[in-house]
Amino acid sequence: MNDGPLIVQSDKTLLLEVDHPRAEEARRAIAPFAELERAPEHVHTYRVTPLGLWNARAAGHDAEQVVDALITHSRYAVPHALLVDVADTMDRYGRLTLEKEGFADSPEGTRLVLRTTDRPVLEEVLRHRKIKPLTGERIDDLAVVVHPSERGTLKQELLKVGWPAEDLAGYVDGEAHPIHLAENGWSLRPYQQHAVDGFWHGGSGVVVLPCGAGKTLVGAGAMAAAKATTLILVTNTVSARQWKDELLRRTSLTEDEIGEYSGARKEIRPVTIATYQVLTTKRKGAYAHLDLLDARDWGLIVYDEVHLLPAPIFRMTADLQARRRLGLTATLVREDGREADVFSLIGPKRFDAPWKDIEAQGYIAPADCVEVRVTLPDGQRMAYATAEPEDRYRLASCSDAKLDVVEKLAQRHTGEPTLVIGQYLDQLHEVAERLGAEVITGETTVRERQRLYDAFRTGQLSTLVVSKVANFSIDLPEASVAIQISGTFGSRQEEAQRLGRVLRPKGDGRTAHFYTIVARDTVDADFAAHRQRFLAEQGYAYRIVDADDL
Amino acid sequence: MAPSSRSLADDIRGRSDAELVDLVLARPDLARPAPADLTSLAARASTRASVQRAVEALDRGHLQVLEALVVAADPAPTRVGETADEPTSVGAALPVVLELLGTDDEALVRRLVDDLWRSALLWRSADGEHVVRTVNEVLGGTVAGLGPPMRELRSSLVPQHDDPVALRAAIDEAPDAARAMLEKMTWGPPFGVMPTGRAGSSTARWLLERHLLVPVASDRVALPREVGLALRHGRLHQASQLVPPPLEARRVSLVDEVAGGAASTFLTQVDELTAAWGAAPPRVLRTGGLSVRDLRTTQLTLDVEPELAAFVVEIAYAAGLVADDGEIVPVWAPTADVDEWSSTEAGHRWASLALAWLGSTRAPHLVGQRPGGAAGAVNALGPDVQWPAIRTLRRSVLTELASLGEGEAVGSEALLDRLMWRRPLRPGAVLGEAVGAIVREAEWLGVTGRGALSGAGRALLGPVGRRRAESAASAAGSSARGDVSSGLATATAGDLDEVAAAMSAHLPAPVDHVLVQADLTAVAPGPLVGSLASFMRLAADVESRGGATVYRFTPESVRRALDAGWTAAEFIETVRRSSRTPVPQPLEYLVSDVARRHGQTRIGGAAAYVRSDDESVLDTMLASRDLAALQLRRIAPTVVVSSADPRVLVDLLRDNGFAPVHEGRDGAVVHVETPRRRATTRRRGPGPAVSPVDLAFTQTLVTGLRAAEATADERRAAEESRSGPRIPATDPVVTLSLLRDAVAERHGVWIGLSDQVGGTTRHLIHPQRVEGGRVWATDEGGQEKTFSVHRITGATLEG
Repeated sequence: MNDGPLIVQSDKTLLLEVDHPRAEEARRAIAPFAELERAPEHVHTYRVTPLGLWNARAAGHDAEQVVDALITHSRYAVPHALLVDVADTMDRYGRLTLEKEGFADSPEGTRLVLRTTDRPVLEEVLRHRKIKPLTGERIDDLAVVVHPSERGTLKQELLKVGWPAEDLAGYVDGEAHPIHLAENGWSLRPYQQHAVDGFWHGGSGVVVLPCGAGKTLVGAGAMAAAKATTLILVTNTVSARQWKDELLRRTSLTEDEIGEYSGARKEIRPVTIATYQVLTTKRKGAYAHLDLLDARDWGLIVYDEVHLLPAPIFRMTADLQARRRLGLTATLVREDGREADVFSLIGPKRFDAPWKDIEAQGYIAPADCVEVRVTLPDGQRMAYATAEPEDRYRLASCSDAKLDVVEKLAQRHTGEPTLVIGQYLDQLHEVAERLGAEVITGETTVRERQRLYDAFRTGQLSTLVVSKVANFSIDLPEASVAIQISGTFGSRQEEAQRLGRVLRPKGDGRTAHFYTIVARDTVDADFAAHRQRFLAEQGYAYRIVDADDL
Repeated sequence: MAPSSRSLADDIRGRSDAELVDLVLARPDLARPAPADLTSLAARASTRASVQRAVEALDRGHLQVLEALVVAADPAPTRVGETADEPTSVGAALPVVLELLGTDDEALVRRLVDDLWRSALLWRSADGEHVVRTVNEVLGGTVAGLGPPMRELRSSLVPQHDDPVALRAAIDEAPDAARAMLEKMTWGPPFGVMPTGRAGSSTARWLLERHLLVPVASDRVALPREVGLALRHGRLHQASQLVPPPLEARRVSLVDEVAGGAASTFLTQVDELTAAWGAAPPRVLRTGGLSVRDLRTTQLTLDVEPELAAFVVEIAYAAGLVADDGEIVPVWAPTADVDEWSSTEAGHRWASLALAWLGSTRAPHLVGQRPGGAAGAVNALGPDVQWPAIRTLRRSVLTELASLGEGEAVGSEALLDRLMWRRPLRPGAVLGEAVGAIVREAEWLGVTGRGALSGAGRALLGPVGRRRAESAASAAGSSARGDVSSGLATATAGDLDEVAAAMSAHLPAPVDHVLVQADLTAVAPGPLVGSLASFMRLAADVESRGGATVYRFTPESVRRALDAGWTAAEFIETVRRSSRTPVPQPLEYLVSDVARRHGQTRIGGAAAYVRSDDESVLDTMLASRDLAALQLRRIAPTVVVSSADPRVLVDLLRDNGFAPVHEGRDGAVVHVETPRRRATTRRRGPGPAVSPVDLAFTQTLVTGLRAAEATADERRAAEESRSGPRIPATDPVVTLSLLRDAVAERHGVWIGLSDQVGGTTRHLIHPQRVEGGRVWATDEGGQEKTFSVHRITGATLEG
């Protein structure tokens, strides 16, 4: 029997034994078509989905390679049905192609054509209620004209009916603009270069890199490759500023060439950074800033944090199919399950960096994650038991019992830069009072915020109490201890962000500490379990301790 | 061979011992019960029941040759120089047969004819082969879709009406409408209803006038055989298929590995089934099956598709692992055999399931179907799943697969074609579905892997796999009776071991460890050994199945284990022992946290306490080194706890000179015992004891027949010496066939008739017809009389 590191399950998950000598080889073989679902310490779980298989097809892998990868690395015989299914699924990709016909300078101009090699498939999709209106006249048995404006929507619908189209219609070059990387004393890390190359050769698509692995640089690299005007869509203003700083530092672009298009400023320059929020702002029922998309002849559009892309942006993106699109994300898994839209509208996954590789290169620091369980005093337990369900989370989160623990932890790490992060303002003020520390909330002015950050950075302040503004605040200084006293229910996204605060590698190689204080036997603990599972699946081991044992 | 044979009986008497052995092996029903002599063997071979069975067992090649022989043997008066009374010699007509079959492969046809002769559907005389008369009856009026011959349809036959040349001419000049009508009837059925429209009826009239159609009733017409043959251009079959259609095999690799994987998965599923039913047995429906809802629950438990769930349930039943427990409120529960079964080695476990499948007369694929007209769907384990024919079919499918080389797979379409060829007379309507189901089941079970028969599958077929396919199938066909357990009963222990050995090598090796991870999952990288498997099933939820199993520990699953009497300490200890990776702290925390909330007075999972008002006694206990294993812990000045079982504690303390008494359970933890229901073992009798008609048996039989024949010869010689018509005592079957011959040939017969007082009288009669055990005949006086066959002691032809 083959002694491979991989076990193929009948539910199409792949289990990869990490400690196996041939694990890395197997990981590389399956990465193109399987999505990493969980990555705890010993056995990683990948899942084979139709989308993953089509991604692989789009990236130039064929069924033969996939089947071969499975058989070669599998410890047990691979279920025959699964292999057949893989071949069948991959065979569905590329039966339909979107092509451009004619020449731009001819009197008829060009037209977009949906073409097939397999007539029944075309007949099937053309009979579909939602697809029929997107197409125009029939050219012959094997081709039909498509309205150029429906290019994205059509691809979306075709994916839904299980016949993904291969988009060969090409891209417009856009308005040229000289951009190059200013590689003075640094250069793109090898995996970043691979990501840029993978994207550029594929035309459009998504690059998946873990948090902190330098996604911005991949964006900059893509811009340098495109050498064209670029529209960058980001999640919020803070992020927009960070992009701007990074581009100024890493590329030949100057302050004047980069515009910010946000709630505060409306600049349109060769490189424009816009927020999702401003694009989705409606005035009198209409999107007020849609013109931005056509304001210039963009040669490249970059989507930051694709997994957070709001639905209206998807609809707008459907109209931008002729432009090159680059999606950047840490995970293709969306909480709303719209991965298929990402695939059809932005493009297939072009690059996926093995988490472990990047970790091994020292870009992510290991953290000691500890969950501290406190027992509510009897009085509060009674209050909790009799509270309305909607008040329970707040009651449990804001228990006084947590204050003692915070104090104890702060004492233990005296002198180390410590962040206390919470959800409820009353609680935060109470903590600040107990610790004699400053508080930063949404109400704190920018000037005050800046002053406190500076003090924290220089070591004048060793403890800061922050609200959820810290989730997005990019310029928050490095800390080595984070204490989470309450959070937004079970948000996994938030947990990752907060952990990210302490994950930056420390100058002196100190271990980071991440504490979460949870009230035992309450919904607080249930939500915590949800978040922990997320952490464990990301490969972070954690411990649970009782407050009394601290 | 006796060239001078005058009948089948003569022919058979003239056969060599080896030929007789062949005959009985090919038609085993002839040997049951053992015939008295060769004459009665011959008579039995020409009974309708036996001939029917033999004809139904023919493959399409033999059947087509037989049909051609029947048609060719039909007296054709136009052949100058022959008269209708004289039986046609087939030997002379071999070219006719070849032409009817549209082949020039004379050797092949001769070989097929020889086969038919060997199975006594033909007999040979000096003038050639004769088809046994009963074959005509069995094949019915429309041989190969041809209508009856002209002379049977018309009382007054005008010779030129069936002259082929004249027919051909008439057909050639037929108008288009008439041609179309004829073409519709060409390949059968040869009967039609008179068209009612004007144009239609005039066309039909045109045909009737030229005798291309013959009226058989006021509104029905028939296409006479001669016309049919002319339309078919002298061919009997649309496509002659004298050789089996080829099985287009494709080569596949890793057959045994895939089969082993499937087998391992299947074993796990049966394990899970018995575990689930042992804990919560589903009710037996009043009609005897398993309710749809219970099947659905089982399906969810096993996490498989509905068809597979039904299959697992049915196979567990066929193997005697689950049964109706026969209580007042009956439930389906694992039998006592389960415990023994699960303790055996995996290969043996598989072998017993596979043999049960092979021998089962139940068709699991019928579960959930709605047979025509039935109100409800067929229930698993219900009586409607019984379908004896499936067993023969199953064997046939596997036998066909076995005829391929190793690692050669074939699609179910091709298999179906081949099986239809093998048994053209088998009702084919449901065959396709059944073959598909068998192929699927074989794959689930691991009898095949990627469509090719696995090594274990070959072993499963045993000697049958090595025998010729035809004889194997017919042998299986004859024993397609009895209940489900007979499959196991007839399988010898040697078979079981052989099959087990063949599979064992390819089953994934059982593992005795799991990998526990911080996200509270545990991965078993292979099938777990028995005790660990049941612990994991209890203590964690299964998340993913396949070669490996992914378990997840949840508060609910931990609680389940605690409910079943596990203590937190035992739980963690078992995990620690079984895990190859360090047990993550969150798991320990989870277990103790659940245990804390599990109604324990103190966190820590104490299972016993020692209470004493005399604190010094407890001090002594804690100090005693012999009691260290008990891990005694003082939780109050007068109370010491231990995670050991109270009984162990009591025993150990007594051994060490203390005098503890067992305190009642009031206030203490009440452990829920695991319900382990067991039904009494289903009574599995030996099944119908069918000793096989094998070579040894047949040889003995033939020797006996020879001896009897010698006696009969002597008796015949004695009779010979007497004057007057002698009437030997004949077997009723012989008598019947003789009387039938006499009816057909309008011959007189001397019969001996036993009267009420036991005397025998002789009569010369002319039988008219033989029906329902009676003979209608005219006696010497010309009077019509009826004789009961059972009173006729013997019969002999007049003159």
